[in-house]
Amino acid sequence: MSIKKIAPTLVAVAVATVLTACQAQETKTGSAVSGKSMAAKTAQSGPPPLAPLGAPPIPPDNKQTPAKIELGKILFFDPRLGGDASTGCSTCHEPDQGWAWAEDFSRGYPGTVHWRNSQTIINSAYYARNFWAGSVPSLEKQAPSAAKGGVAGNGENDIMESRLALIPGYRKRFKEVFGTEWPLIGDAWRAIAAFERTLVQRDTPLDKYLLGDKNALTEQQVQGMALFNGKAGCIQCHNGELASDQDYYNIGVPPNKRWEEDGLAQVTFRFELYAKGMTEEGYRTTKADPGFYFRGKNTWDKGKFRTPSLRYTAFTAPYMHNGIFYTMEDVVDFYNRGGFDEDGRTTAFAENKSKLIKPLGLTDEEKENLVAFLEAFSGEEMLMEKPAMPEYAPLFTRAELEAAQEEK
Amino acid sequence: MVVRVSTGRALLAATLGVGMAVTAQAASYPDIGPLPQLKVDKAKAELGKRLFFDVRLSGDAGISCADCHVPEKAYASKEALSPGYPGNGHFRNASSLVNTAHKNIWNWDGRIGTNLNDMTREMITEDYIMNMDMRIMQERLKQDPLYVKMFKDAGYGEPSNGSVRKAIPEYLKTLTSTGSPFDKGTMSASAKRGMKLFKGKAGCIQCHNGPLLSDLKPHNTGVPENFDVFLDPMNHQAFMAFTMFQGVPDYRNLKRDPGYFNVTLEKQDMGKFITPSLRELKYSAPYMHNGMIKTLSEVVGFYNAGGGKDRNKSKKLKPLGLSANEQKDLVAFLEALSGDPLTSPKYVWDQPYPAEYPVIENWTQVRN
Ligand code: HEC
Ligand code: HEC
Ligand code: HEC
Ligand code: HEC
Repeated sequence: MSIKKIAPTLVAVAVATVLTACQAQETKTGSAVSGKSMAAKTAQSGPPPLAPLGAPPIPPDNKQTPAKIELGKILFFDPRLGGDASTGCSTCHEPDQGWAWAEDFSRGYPGTVHWRNSQTIINSAYYARNFWAGSVPSLEKQAPSAAKGGVAGNGENDIMESRLALIPGYRKRFKEVFGTEWPLIGDAWRAIAAFERTLVQRDTPLDKYLLGDKNALTEQQVQGMALFNGKAGCIQCHNGELASDQDYYNIGVPPNKRWEEDGLAQVTFRFELYAKGMTEEGYRTTKADPGFYFRGKNTWDKGKFRTPSLRYTAFTAPYMHNGIFYTMEDVVDFYNRGGFDEDGRTTAFAENKSKLIKPLGLTDEEKENLVAFLEAFSGEEMLMEKPAMPEYAPLFTRAELEAAQEEK
Repeated sequence: MVVRVSTGRALLAATLGVGMAVTAQAASYPDIGPLPQLKVDKAKAELGKRLFFDVRLSGDAGISCADCHVPEKAYASKEALSPGYPGNGHFRNASSLVNTAHKNIWNWDGRIGTNLNDMTREMITEDYIMNMDMRIMQERLKQDPLYVKMFKDAGYGEPSNGSVRKAIPEYLKTLTSTGSPFDKGTMSASAKRGMKLFKGKAGCIQCHNGPLLSDLKPHNTGVPENFDVFLDPMNHQAFMAFTMFQGVPDYRNLKRDPGYFNVTLEKQDMGKFITPSLRELKYSAPYMHNGMIKTLSEVVGFYNAGGGKDRNKSKKLKPLGLSANEQKDLVAFLEALSGDPLTSPKYVWDQPYPAEYPVIENWTQVRN
C-alpha cells in the first residue's frame, strides 16, 4: 500500500514549521545568512556597493572533487532522474536557453505546465536560499524537490534509485565518489549540487571594471552605473557581489495574464495553492502567486520574491518570477513607472508593495544608459555539450537466474 | 475422491493458519456456483467508467487504467508482463478486473486487504503504475466541464480525490461475469466431466472454490520465474522500486518474486500468491502472476505434474495422473467458466476526451 504521495505533504508541513521559525528570526535580526544585507535599508551606511564576484561557498560536508563534479554533470543531463524518464534537470535548464527555459512559465512535466519562470543555474551556488521564494536552504535540498515536484520532475526516490542501480556506469562512478556499493539517491543530489557550483561566471565586463580595467565598460555603461547606484535606486536591493541582497520584496510585478487564458495553467495554479497548504478560503479566492507568503503564511509577505541576481541576465529572458517581461527595456520601463506595466497593472497584493519602488522619472536616454549597463552583468554565453549517458544493463545473467530457479 | 494428507501434516498446516480443510472432502469446500448480483449506482458507475479510460489520471497523461487492464482481455494485460508507467516496465501480469469487486483481498500478493478504494489509490499513485500526484489530478478534473457535471450528478459535489476513489470502485462493480455456460447450466458433457474432476480427482476445489472459484488465500504452486522481469532493466527497475518500498531485505539481489512474503516478511510465505478466480480465462491468457503459462491445457499439464519446483510448494499439489482425455475435460470445464465479453459501451467509455483543458472564463472573478 502506497503512502508515498501522502507522506511528502506531512514532511512539507514539518518543514514549513521549521521555516516559520527561521523566518521569524530573520525578520528580527536581519539575517544570520551571509551575503544578505539589511544595510540596504539604513540610509546611513548605504547598501554594499557592487563588487567583483568571489568564489562560491562550498559546504564543508560536500567538498568539490573532479569525479564528483563529472558525475553531477551527467546526472544533471539525465532525464531518468524524473518520473517517466523524459524530464531531467537540463530539460528546463537548457544551456542554450540561459540554463533556464525561454518562456514566461517554465515548461512542466509532460501533461503539465509550471507556474513560475525557470531560473538560471548560473551563479545559483551563491544564494543562501534557492527558488524565487527562497523555499529551500541549499542546492543539496533544492535538487530533490525539483526532481520530485509534480509539475517538475515528478520522480520518486525508489524508482530513481533503482534506475541508477541498473546502470553499470553509475554504479562505478558512485562507488568511486561516495564509496557505496550501490548508488544512493541522496548522493545523486550532492553530486548535482557540486556540478552546479562550477556553473559560475566571474569574468563579466563589470567584474573586470571593478577589478581595475577601466576600459571594460563603455562610457554609456558607466553613466548607466551611476543611475543604477543613484537616481534609479536599483542598488538598494541589487547590491554586493551578486547584485542581490537576497531579501524578499513585492516590487509590483502584475499577475501573468496566462492564468486567465490558459486552462492548463489554471490547473497548475490551483494545484500549487493546494499543495503549498493554503487555507480553504485562500485556495478559493487567490488569483496571483503569493510567493514568499508560503514560507511563513504572513499576509504582509504576499507577492514578495527573492531579489534575483542581475548576473547572466543577458541570456535568461523572460524576466521576473512569472516571466512577464521579455526585454530589459520592458523591465526598466516597469521600474520607471513605479512598478506598473504598460497597461497600468501592478501586483495583486498592492498593500505589500515595497516603499522603495516609486516612479523614477528617467529620461529616454537615461533608460538606454541603464539598459546598457545591465548588459555588463553578463560575460560570454556559457554553453555545454550534453555528456554521453551511461546505459542500462541487466544486473543478472540468465545463468545466474537459472541457478536461482534451481535452488527454489 | 478424498485428497489424502497425513494427520501430522494437517496439524502443521493448521498451525500455519492455512489449509485447515486439507483433509476434508471436496463437498466441504464452499461450492462453486453463480456470483451474487451487486447493487450499482448508475451515475457513480458511469463517472467511474469515464475515469477508468482517461489518461489524465496518470502523471504525464500518458496511460489510463485500461492500457494495462484491457477490456478484450477480461481487463487483464495483453502480454505476460503488464506494461508499466512510461519510463519503466512491470514485473507482473495485470490481474483481470472482472469480478474484482467480489473479492476481499487484492493483487497477486494480496498486499491490499481493505477495499477497492485503497486499491484505486494504489494504482493511481504508485510511481511505476500511474505516478499521479492526486492533487494535480483533482485540479485536472475540475478543469473539465463534463466531469464537473458528472461528479455533481453522482452526488459527489465538486471533483475530488476522495470521490474518484469511490466512483472507480462503483464502476468496477459493473464488471461482473454474466452468461457463462457454467452459470446458465449449458455446459457440454465434456465440461461436466471436467467439473467432476475439478471437484474430485484433480483437487482444484481445494483452493479454487466458492462462486469466484478462489479461496482468496495465498499458496505456493511453484510457478517458474519469468526471467524477463530481471533481464529487462525496465521491468527490473519497477520490481526493485516495489520491493524496496515493501521493505524486502536485500531487494537488489533478489532473483524471484517474493509474492505474499512482501506482506508478512515471513519466510514461509515466500513464493505464495493469492488464488486467482478462474472466471473469464478464455480472454485473459497468458496465465499466472507472471504470465508464464500460455494456454489452459498447459496449466492443466502443470498441475497434472504436481505443480512446479519450489521447496515451499503447497502440500496440496501432487502429481494427479490425469489421462489425456481427463485433461481435455478439465480444460473444457475451465472454458465453460467464461461468459460474455464485457466490451460493449455499457462497460467501455467510447466517447472522445477533450484534447485540451478549456479555460475557465472570467477567472479573476469566480471562486477557484
Ligand atoms: C519542469 C521544469 C524543471 C525541471 C525538470 C527542473 N527545474 Fe529547476 N527550476 C524550474 C523552475 C520553474 C524554477 C523556479 C521554481 C520556483 O521558484 O518555484 C527552478 C529553480 C531551480 C533552481 C533555483 C535557482 C535559484 O536561483 O535559486 C535550481 C538550482 C534548479 N532549479 C536546479 C534544478 C535541478 C538540479 C533539477 C534536476 C534535479 C531541476 N532544477 C529540474 C524548472 C525546472
Ligand atoms: C525593492 C528592491 C528592488 C529594487 C529597488 C529593484 N529591484 Fe529589481 N528586483 C527585485 C525583486 C524582488 C525582483 C524579483 C521580483 C519578482 O519576480 O516578482 C527583481 C527583479 C529584477 C529583474 C529580473 C531578473 C530576473 O532574473 O528575472 C531585473 C532585470 C531587475 N530586477 C532590475 C532592476 C533594476 C534595473 C532596478 C532599478 C531600476 C531594480 N531592479 C530595482 C528587487 C528590487
Ligand atoms: C501500468 C499498468 C497498470 C495500470 C495503468 C493500472 N493497473 Fe491495475 N494492476 C496492474 C497490475 C500489474 C496489477 C497486479 C499488481 C500486483 O499483483 O502486484 C494490477 C492490479 C489491479 C487490481 C487488483 C485486482 C485483483 O483482483 O487483485 C485492481 C482492482 C486494479 N489493478 C485496478 C486498477 C485501476 C482502477 C486502475 C486505474 C486507476 C489501474 N488498475 C491501473 C497494472 C496496472
Ligand atoms: C494449492 C492451491 C491450488 C490448487 C490445489 C490449485 N490451484 Fe490453481 N492456482 C493457485 C494459485 C495460488 C494460483 C496463482 C499462482 C501464481 O500466479 O503463481 C493458481 C492459478 C491457476 C490458474 C491461472 C489463473 C490466472 O488467471 O492466471 C489456473 C487456470 C488454475 N490455477 C487452475 C487450476 C486447476 C485446473 C487446478 C486443479 C488441477 C488448480 N488450479 C489447483 C492455487 C491452486
